[in-house]
Amino acid sequence: MKPVIDPKLCKGCNICVYICPKKCYTKGAEISEMGYFDAVASSTEKCYNHNREGKLICELCVLSCPDQAISWHPEIEEEKKR
Amino acid sequence: MELFEFYRRDRWPHVFCPGCGNGTVMNCFYRAFSELNLPLDRTAFIGGIGCSSRIPLYINSDALHTTHGRAIAFATGLKLSKPELKIVIFTGDGDLGAIGGNHFINGCRRNLDMTVVCINNNIYGMTGGQASITTPHDFQSTTTPFGNKEYPFDLAEIAVAAGANYVARWTTRHVHELTKSMKTALQKKGFAFVEVVSQCPTNFGRRNKMADPTQMLEWFKESSVRRDKARLAAVDHVDLNLAGQITVGEFVDRNRECYEELIGVEKHG
Amino acid sequence: MTIAPGEYFVQGNEACVEGAVAAGVRFFAGYPITPSTEIAEGLSHRLKGADGVFLQMEDEIACISAVIGASWGGVKSMTATSGPGFSLMQEAIGYAAMSETPVVIVNVMRGGPSTGQPTRASQGDVMQTRYGSHGDYQVIAFAPASVQEMFDLTIESFNYAEKYRVPAFLLSDAEVGHMRGLLTVPDKIRIVNRKEKGLRRPDEAYDVPDDLVHPFPIFGKGHKTMITGMTHTDDSRIEPEDAKVHQQLIKRLSEKVLKNRKDINKWELTCPDSKTMIVSYGSSALGAKEVAASDERVGLLRLKSIWPLPEEPIYEVASKCDQILVCEMNLGMLYWSIKRVALEAGCKKVELLSKVGGEPPTPSEVRHKLRAMGAI
Repeated sequence: MKPVIDPKLCKGCNICVYICPKKCYTKGAEISEMGYFDAVASSTEKCYNHNREGKLICELCVLSCPDQAISWHPEIEEEKKR
Repeated sequence: MELFEFYRRDRWPHVFCPGCGNGTVMNCFYRAFSELNLPLDRTAFIGGIGCSSRIPLYINSDALHTTHGRAIAFATGLKLSKPELKIVIFTGDGDLGAIGGNHFINGCRRNLDMTVVCINNNIYGMTGGQASITTPHDFQSTTTPFGNKEYPFDLAEIAVAAGANYVARWTTRHVHELTKSMKTALQKKGFAFVEVVSQCPTNFGRRNKMADPTQMLEWFKESSVRRDKARLAAVDHVDLNLAGQITVGEFVDRNRECYEELIGVEKHG
Repeated sequence: MTIAPGEYFVQGNEACVEGAVAAGVRFFAGYPITPSTEIAEGLSHRLKGADGVFLQMEDEIACISAVIGASWGGVKSMTATSGPGFSLMQEAIGYAAMSETPVVIVNVMRGGPSTGQPTRASQGDVMQTRYGSHGDYQVIAFAPASVQEMFDLTIESFNYAEKYRVPAFLLSDAEVGHMRGLLTVPDKIRIVNRKEKGLRRPDEAYDVPDDLVHPFPIFGKGHKTMITGMTHTDDSRIEPEDAKVHQQLIKRLSEKVLKNRKDINKWELTCPDSKTMIVSYGSSALGAKEVAASDERVGLLRLKSIWPLPEEPIYEVASKCDQILVCEMNLGMLYWSIKRVALEAGCKKVELLSKVGGEPPTPSEVRHKLRAMGAI
């Protein structure tokens, strides 16, 4: 599973960037539709839950995100190979 | 239960500032509640006035948004009139410990069967950043422009002394421990108090050189010390609190009779 | 649980306890304060086990808050206090008005301001009952003048609180609260219960249109109710910035009471065709009643409900008489509103017998004033 940031909810606080132990996120440079510099889930292949289904190992980002903007999605075929 | 079955999706994005710890607490609470499979329809959520007191209005259940400081008093009436309801209160440091102080200590003393989550951001955030009874000494606020001359309360220790059955304190940096303590609190019979030290970057952090919420989270991490270890080291926890250290952990877990049992209306919510 | 029909010799406060029990009170939160404490003590005996919950709270603010919370659990709830406690309760009373929570508050008035005369009567809180909390709202208030009325009007306080979803007040005083007298409990008592959301049953509360008084969503029944003191829409969305929402809400909170004055007004007339009419309420009316009953030159309009002000009977009386004497145990509070209505009705002479110090005006004091007015 990979983390996906919802641009309608993210307020660009970058707590996910700070908290992720595998540095999967980076600070964004583009202003979203909501007016924030959204964080970017740039290296989700480093995530503890990469290619993992069932019980997830780490959910620090999802638990910490103040805006409930992060959710888990299954990887698409190309992402699985990274 | 899905996150947005528990929360009212039509009210998102919520009003809390970017980086506000309230949202983190909401995640942990949702996890605790849904993992326990508690019946949402038989749970009522009550808040006073303040940012964290608004959380009940975001939950998909009965919610009572009351007057400043009085959530526990309202909850006392609601719970005792309908003992089968489970009661959860969301409050803040000022709402609970300043104006609500009397209801706080008497709620603990009566040991009513309810769960109280106090999100302590060390400030009056909603009104713009005035000092609270947990603002650390020397810190800046809009009403302490020369530095806070007062010393803070230790809300968790007050709950212990006043008789609450379960008391724990964590910070928003401790999401796993917090979730676990919330689960214990929700299952505990009697007054279960969970204090969460949380970041208010907009009105506290910004005036105290921690405008970035991640700076505040780092500060929580650096200042936290396990209370049981602090006690073993024979350090006075009051001095620690006053020196800006945050003692965290489960403070007390006891089984005094809850008020409902004492007056004969017990139906554990 | 309700006291059996029959005759009893009891104290006013005790009669209030029996009235509350007869009305179906199941939650009482009180704090000791003279001269209301007997009500708390009485209910501490009556509300136990399955009969209900009695709590002595840490302060009066906790009392009124708990009583409001209990009402959301679906039960009839009440608190009792006097001046200093009543002042503390005002914020929450405003909350009850704004959130439309049915609750009953008994105020056994004593000498004020501040600590004043704890064991003596006054009627100094009558304006505070109407205007005590900040903002625009309407309340319903009754003024008992006997032990019997401490029973009857307590029941009416509950009935009207339930019917109109307002905080309702029983404005007693140290005289009526502590006097002892005859209470006759009838076989049948009219009880009104709130309109419940999702329920339909024969009860006069259901006759009030839903757009004026919304059906009450009891907690714990899956309604996902959101209750707040902030300005809100009909479907409980918080909209403090919307002027129109606020206007509509405030107007409805007022109209639901004012449009139903005919239903709420309660009064008693003695010699209504007299040239001089006394208008009074509560224990102030006791001396006046004796005078009016013994002298046909003088009549009495005794107000049993004082808020909303029963303008209609006052107007009626004022349009027929030459002069009016208002008797109150304060320096003139209802006097000004009564005078306004009387002047509108064409009665130009409206005088005040103001008695403070702790005792109601005696019949001879009333006669003395009437002589000065040329009435007798």
